[in-house]
Amino acid sequence: MNTKTYVPLPGCLTRLALFVAAACLATTCVAARGRDDSAQKLEDGKKLFHARCGYCHLAGGTGTIMLGRRLGKDRSLLEERTDLSAEYVKKITRVGINSMPPHNRIELPDSELDLIAAYLTRPASARAPDAAGPKGGTP
Amino acid sequence: MKLVLPPRVTDKTFQKALDAFAGVVGKQWVLNTDEDRETFSDIYAAGDADQHVPAAAVGPQSVEEVQAIVRIANEYKVPLWPISRGKNLGYGAAAPRMSGTVVLDLGRMNRILDVNERFGYCLIEPGVGFFDLFNHLQEKKIRLWMSVPANAWGSVAGNALERGYGYTPYGDNTRNICGLEVVLPNGDLVRTGTGAMANSATWQLFKWGYGPSWDQLFCQSNFGIVTKMGMWLMPEPEATLGLNIQLPNPDDVGWAVDELAPLRLNGVIQQSPSIGNSLRFVASATQRSQWYNGDGAMPDDVLAEVLKKAGFGWWTINLRLYGYDEVNETHARIIKDAFAKHTKQEFQIVKWHRGEPIENSGAGIPSTQALQMINWRGGRGGHLGFSPVLPATSEHVLKQFHSTKKRYEEIGVDYYGSFTLMERTATNVNLMVYDRDDAALTAKVRALFKVLVADAAKEGYSEYRTHLSYMDDVALSFDFNHHALLRLNEAVKDALDPNGILAPGKQGIWPRALRTERA
Repeated sequence: MNTKTYVPLPGCLTRLALFVAAACLATTCVAARGRDDSAQKLEDGKKLFHARCGYCHLAGGTGTIMLGRRLGKDRSLLEERTDLSAEYVKKITRVGINSMPPHNRIELPDSELDLIAAYLTRPASARAPDAAGPKGGTP
Repeated sequence: MKLVLPPRVTDKTFQKALDAFAGVVGKQWVLNTDEDRETFSDIYAAGDADQHVPAAAVGPQSVEEVQAIVRIANEYKVPLWPISRGKNLGYGAAAPRMSGTVVLDLGRMNRILDVNERFGYCLIEPGVGFFDLFNHLQEKKIRLWMSVPANAWGSVAGNALERGYGYTPYGDNTRNICGLEVVLPNGDLVRTGTGAMANSATWQLFKWGYGPSWDQLFCQSNFGIVTKMGMWLMPEPEATLGLNIQLPNPDDVGWAVDELAPLRLNGVIQQSPSIGNSLRFVASATQRSQWYNGDGAMPDDVLAEVLKKAGFGWWTINLRLYGYDEVNETHARIIKDAFAKHTKQEFQIVKWHRGEPIENSGAGIPSTQALQMINWRGGRGGHLGFSPVLPATSEHVLKQFHSTKKRYEEIGVDYYGSFTLMERTATNVNLMVYDRDDAALTAKVRALFKVLVADAAKEGYSEYRTHLSYMDDVALSFDFNHHALLRLNEAVKDALDPNGILAPGKQGIWPRALRTERA
C-alpha cells in the first residue's frame, strides 16, 4: 500500500508556499497574458490595417501600385516589408508622402495608429513563414 | 499649419470654445495642433491651401453631441465646417471655405442603422464610407447594389449631399436620398419627409412628405448638419451586359453623344455612360515621363502614338445594361446598330449573371484606383476638377471639348476630360493634374480655372460642383435678375443661422455678418 505521510507545514511556511505559488501562478499568467496581449494587439493591428489602409495598400491597391513604381515590386506591399520602423509608419501616416494624403487623428486615432505600426513592424517570429524573408533597404 | 482665428473671435474666446467642445466630446476629439490642421487642409491644393486653413477639428459621436457643439458655436460665434469623411478630393477635401473655421468631423458617426432588402434602402450615418456599406452588403449577402463614384474613399452620405454620382441605374446619388435627419444651425433637430411623423412607417419609402420638401435644401448648402440619411439602393438584377468600345478620333465624341443621348432618354440605357478620353487610363497605369518629357501639354501626335502603343482609341466608352438577359440583348443590339452607322470598331462585351463573381458585373464596387492618375506627373501629385453641365448634343459637347482642350494647352497641362450622360445633360468632368510643388504650374492652373468658369458661363453652362476657391465665382455666374437666387439663399441663411456659424461661404452662400469675406 502506498502511503504518504502528510506533514503539515508550519503556518509561516504555508503562507510562504502559498505566496510563492501565487506569485509563480501570477508570473505565469502575466507571461501567458503578455503573449496573448501581444498576439491580440497584432491581430487588432492587422484588422485595422486592412480596414483603414487596405483601400490602397493591399494587393492591387493604388498605394501598392505607386510604391511598386517607386521602390520596386518586392517592396510594394506594406504588410510584407521588414524594413519599416514604427516611427516612420506613424509619421508618414500623419504627414503623407507624394500622392498619399495625411490621415487625421479622428479618422485614425493615435491608439489605432500605434497598433497598425506595431503590426507592420512585427518581429519575424510573428510573421507567416512565407512573409518573413528579408525585404530590406531604405524606407 | 499655423492657427488662423475666425473673424469676430479673440484668442481667449476661441480657447473657451475649444474647452467647451472638449467638455462635450472629450479632449481626445478636439484637435488643434499645427500637424492636425495640416491633416484637415486641402490635401491636393493647387498652391492655395493657405486660403482655407482650418482652425481646429472636433469629432462628435452622437446627434446629441452635434447639437451641443452647435449651441457652443453659437455662444462663441465660432464657425463650423461639417464634413462626413473629408474625402472631397479635387474640390477641397476636408478644408473649410473660410480660414479660421473649425472642422466638424462626423467620421465617428459611422453606423449603418438599417438596410431593408425588400424595399431597397439603407439608413446610414455620415461617417459610413462606400467600402463600409459595400462590405456590409456583401457579408450579409444582401442583394442590393450601390452606386459608387470613381474614387470611393469617401462617405456615401457626403457624396450624395455634394451631388456626386456613380455608374449604375441608381447613379444619380442625390436623387436616391429619401429622408434626412438634420441638426439646424440653432441646435434644433428635424427629420425631413415623412420622418417628421414621430412614428413614420414610410420615412425611407416616400420622399416628399407633406408641404415643402426639404431634402434638397440640405444638399450643397450650409443650412443644416445631416446626421442620418435614408438612401435608396438598387435591387440586384438578374444579369448585366457591359459594352466597351474605343473610338479613334477626337471628334467621335460628337456623334457618340448624339447616338447615345436619345437612348439614355428613352430608357434603353438606364445608367449614365461615361465617355472619357483614354489618356485617363494611360495615366492610371503609367507615368508621363515613361512616354514624354517635353514641356507643355503633350502634343497631339505624341498622344496619338502613346494611345496606339497602349492599345487605346482617343475615347473610351463604357456602357452597362441591367435587368433580364433578353431585354439586355435587345438593347445591346439597338446600341450596336446605332454605332455601326459611324464606326467599324467592335464593342467588347462583358456578360454577368446572378451568382457569378460580382467583379465581372455592372455593380458599383468601391475602389481607390482612380487616384492613380494624380501620380501622372510624379512628385506630390494633386488634382482639381472643373465640371460644367451641358445639354447632351454634339454641338455643345464638341464646342466645349475643343475650347477646354485649347485652354489646357495654353497653360501646358495635358487634357483629361470625360462626358457622363444623364437623361438630358452631359456632365463634363475635366481634371487638372499637377505636381503640388510646381508653383509655376499650380499658379497657371488656378488662373485657368477662373477662365474656364467664365468661358462656361458665357455659353450658359454652370458647374455641378466646384472647389472651395471658386465657390463664389460659380455662385455669381447665376446672375438672373441681379443674382436673385443668391439673395434667396442668403435670406434663408440669415433666417436659419443668424449668428452665421455654419459653413460660411459654402457654395457662395455667406451669412450677413461675414459677407465681407466673399471673394
